[in-house]
Formats: sequence, C-alpha cells, structure tokens
Amino acid sequence: MNARCRIAAAAMVFAATVYPVSAQNKAADGFKAYDGLAVGRQMLAEDNPGDLWVERGQRLFNDKRGPKNTSLERCDLGQGPGVVKGVFATLPRYFADTNKVQDLESRLLTCMVELQGFKREDIVRDRFGTLDKDSELEALVSYVGAASNGLRMNVRLNHAQEREMYKAGEYAFYRRSGPLDFACVTCHGESGKRIRLQELPNMTKPEEMREVIATGWPAYRGTHSTVRTMQHRLYDCFWQMRLADLGFASDLSVAITTYLNYSANGGEIKLPGVRR
Amino acid sequence: MIYAKSLLLLSATVAVVAGCATFPDAESTAQRAEQMVTEAHTLGAPALLRRTTQDESQRACSSPGGAKLTQEHSATIVKTARDSIKYPASGKLTGDWKTGAQLVADGRGQRIINGQVEKLSANGALCINCHLMDAKEVNAGNVGPALTGYGTQHGDSEAVARYTYERIYNAWAFMPCSNMPRLGASGFLTPEQIAHIVAYLIDPQSPVNK
Ligand code: HEC
Ligand code: HEC
Repeated sequence: MNARCRIAAAAMVFAATVYPVSAQNKAADGFKAYDGLAVGRQMLAEDNPGDLWVERGQRLFNDKRGPKNTSLERCDLGQGPGVVKGVFATLPRYFADTNKVQDLESRLLTCMVELQGFKREDIVRDRFGTLDKDSELEALVSYVGAASNGLRMNVRLNHAQEREMYKAGEYAFYRRSGPLDFACVTCHGESGKRIRLQELPNMTKPEEMREVIATGWPAYRGTHSTVRTMQHRLYDCFWQMRLADLGFASDLSVAITTYLNYSANGGEIKLPGVRR
Repeated sequence: MIYAKSLLLLSATVAVVAGCATFPDAESTAQRAEQMVTEAHTLGAPALLRRTTQDESQRACSSPGGAKLTQEHSATIVKTARDSIKYPASGKLTGDWKTGAQLVADGRGQRIINGQVEKLSANGALCINCHLMDAKEVNAGNVGPALTGYGTQHGDSEAVARYTYERIYNAWAFMPCSNMPRLGASGFLTPEQIAHIVAYLIDPQSPVNK
C-alpha cells in the first residue's frame, strides 16, 4: 500500500469507529433489531455451554500436537504469530503466505497443516463434530472467537483480493439457482420474516448483521448439542437451498463471509453465540 | 477559512479513497464469482453439481443489490413462465384436499447431504414453510402472505381453480422474480400434487376455509 492509500485507510478506520454510535441511536429510535433468539440466549446467558469449547480450544491451541509435535503459537491468524486477541474482528482478510483471503476456519486449517503437519483431508473430514466425535476445529474457532470479546467487528478491504472477495460475496448473496430458485436474499432480505417459526435475520440491514455476526457464529446450537461455526451455518443454508454440499473453506464460502462480516462492522463481539 | 481548509482536506481524502479502494467492475465480479460457484461444490453426481447452473430467468432475477428488472426482462420472464405450465393428464385441476393437507405441511424433498439426495417417494410441497394456511396451524412461516380463508374469499369456481393451479405451477407467470419458487415448472411438484393442493386451498370443507 502506498503512503496516500495508507492515509486514506486510516480515515476509513476512523469512519468505522464513529459509525456504530449513530447506528445505536437509530436503534433507540424504535428500530427493533433482529432478536429472534432472545429466549434461548436468556436461558443460557448465565451458563453458555459453548464456554466448554472455548476451554478445550485453548488447550488444543497451546498443546504440542500433530506429526510435528508443535503448538499453534507460531500460527499467524492476522495479528501476528500466536496472537488470538482481535483476530475475529478483522477476518476474513488477505494472507501473503497463501496469497488468499481466508476466514477463521480456513486459516486455522492452514496452520494445522503447515505448522503441525496434520493431513488436510483428515481435518476437513472431522470439521463438524458428531455425537461420537468432537471436532477440534469447532473448539479452536470457539477459543479464537471468544478472544475478541468486547472488541468491535472491523473488517478492512485494503487489499485488492479482499475487495474482489467482498464483491463476489455480494454477487453470491443475490444469485438465484437450484430447483427452488433460492438465493440468500430470498430468506434474508426482509425484516420480521420466518420460515415456519425460525426467525430470519435481514442481512441487508447492518443493524441486524451486527447481531448475527458479532454475537453469532461460533455458536452453541442446542439442536445439535455442539458448537457450530460459520462454515457450518452456510453449509446448512446451502442444504436448505437444495444445492450440493458447500465445499469447506471454498472461495465461495469465504467470499460470502467477507461480504457478511464487513456489513457487521461496528458490532460488539460476544462469542460463542447461542442458537437454536 | 479553517472551515474551507478542512472541507478541502475532506474532499481530497474522499478522492484518494475512491482512487485506492476501487472495487472490481460488475463484469469481472460476475466472472470471478461464477468460477467460485463452480468450484464450491465437488461432492455428488454431475446432475447434482449442475443445480447451481442458472436458467435465463434465474439470471435475470439475480441483480446484486436487488436492482429493479427492466420492462423487457420482466416480459420475457412472464412469457417463459406462462409457456412452462403443463396440466394434469386427467384435465382435473382440483384433486383431494386431504392429500393436499399432507403435502402443504411437508417440507422435505431434494435436499443433498454428502453428495446424496434424500430418498423419498415424492417431494413435500413446502407451502407452510412460507404461508399460514390453516388458521389453527402454529408452525407456519410468513415469507409469503397468509392464505387463510383463500377459498372463502375467492370461491371454488373453475376459473379460480385454474388461476390457483397456474400460480403454484409457476409463480413467475404472475410476479416475475417472486420469492415463491416455480414449484411445477422445476419439476419439484407433479401436476397431480398441485391439483391436490388447489383442492386444499379452495374446497369449502378444507381447514383453510373454516
Ligand atoms: C430457504 C430459506 C433460506 C435460504 C435460501 C438461506 N437461509 Fe440462511 N437461514 C435460514 C434459516 C431457517 C435460518 C435459521 C434461523 C434460526 O435458526 O432461527 C438461517 C440462518 C442463517 C444464518 C445465521 C443467523 C443467526 O443469527 O444465527 C446465516 C449467517 C445465514 N442463514 C446465511 C445465509 C446465506 C449466506 C445464505 C445464502 C447462501 C442463506 N442463509 C440462505 C433460511 C435460509
Ligand atoms: C419460499 C417461499 C414460498 C413457498 C415455499 C411458497 N410460497 Fe406461495 N408465495 C410466496 C411469496 C413471497 C408470495 C408473494 C409473491 C407472489 O405473489 O408471488 C407468494 C404468493 C402465493 C400466492 C398468491 C397469493 C395472493 O394473495 O395472490 C398463492 C396462492 C401461493 N403463494 C400459494 C402457495 C402454495 C400453495 C405453496 C406450496 C405448494 C406455496 N405458495 C409455496 C412464497 C412462497
């Protein structure tokens, strides 16, 4: 980035910091933010089972593991080797070593393969926990996510590839296909809508997106008895859309997350979330 | 004076931001995103992977940001949708409302997991995922308008049966790019299934009209 761009970027950061204040005023003006999960959240507010995943994730992060018997303390999630604080707030972002924009899951995958020597296909196979087998990735994502609690979402689009991903994500959000003609916007384009009794956040509204992203995924899902990540949430929506399985850490999944997370900028992070 | 200076600074900043943080144009975005869509799904038979391939109407209904349709596109979508409509071989557009009642509450069909489509003898019709139909049903969505009292309101004439049948067969013949899926045209529902659902909506005995 040249000097002039850096000044401009600083100005944009400033703009992002003042943004939420006015948005909060708007909420006070009578806008009812997405709050469909209030009941579940209230029930579990005192005792979020997701905290167990955070603890397990912390151990998995710090223990020497894998064929190379190393911890993840050299894993650079965007804030420097081993740093977890603030990571969730700024992902997805561009990483020079992989020359890719990566979200939290795909970046952890890179570290586990490159630093610890795990096999990529093994981690992908076990990416979603089952009743018989917990997922290490779900625990690691919980730990890293919670390490940003209290900070605000602050996804930057400084790199050309980040802007490319953002635009591709927006394109995908509106792209209709499949036997039911669904796009994301079909179910997430208006406030106050429900599929059966499941409330659908309006993802074209930053007020609602801050709730979805900053206090959402990783989330302890009561119906699954485990923590699920954003990759799983998207996978689930693709299933509902009658499309083939969304590839784990695929560029498409990262593009959509870039689009969604950027629109949640300013939202105060409180993870893991609690969901139905 | 100070004020003028800061204004100048502000506009300079805006210009710099615009110059640096340029987004790719619509055409390269579409190209890149389409490539991502193709690469995103790898598990399953070719026919399943091809589900993401859009037809002309879907493409016209996918403007990023939800931009409005042109008159021309709109007319083409409606015509394509009209031409798609097929009727039951029996010619009967109203079937059995009790069979319809089961169909509207069934949300299954065509979902894919680990590259396999769920195995069912027939798809459900998904209606109450989006519409309240029987006023006593608590588990109904509201993505579409409530259809309670549909038959009481419209009657059960041949013309109403026909309109309702066509509307379910291909919603885009009436409202291009509607959020309602083209359930008959895509083959998700059979003409006979749709006739049962028509009966469920218009029959005076149906819970919809109680
Ligand atoms: C057919 C309807 C439908 C479509 C299409 C759909 N979703 Fe969803 N989505 C849902 C439902 C239902 C939920 C769950 C709400 C609940 O559990 O209360 C949900 C939840 C979500 C959530 C979590 C919200 C939260 O606060 O927990 C995200 C994120 C999401 N969807 C993203 C997407 C994206 C991105 C797409 C397109 C690729 C998409 N959805 C397409 C129905 C849909
Ligand atoms: C994914 C959501 C969705 C599903 C599933 C769905 N609809 Fe709809 N439906 C809508 C929406 C949105 C509208 C309003 C826009 C329009 O008229 O096309 C609508 C409109 C209608 C109308 C016209 C209502 C009027 O007041 O003119 C009828 C009739 C209807 N739907 C029947 C059905 C039936 C029967 C089924 C199941 C076989 C069904 N729908 C499934 C979303 C849906």
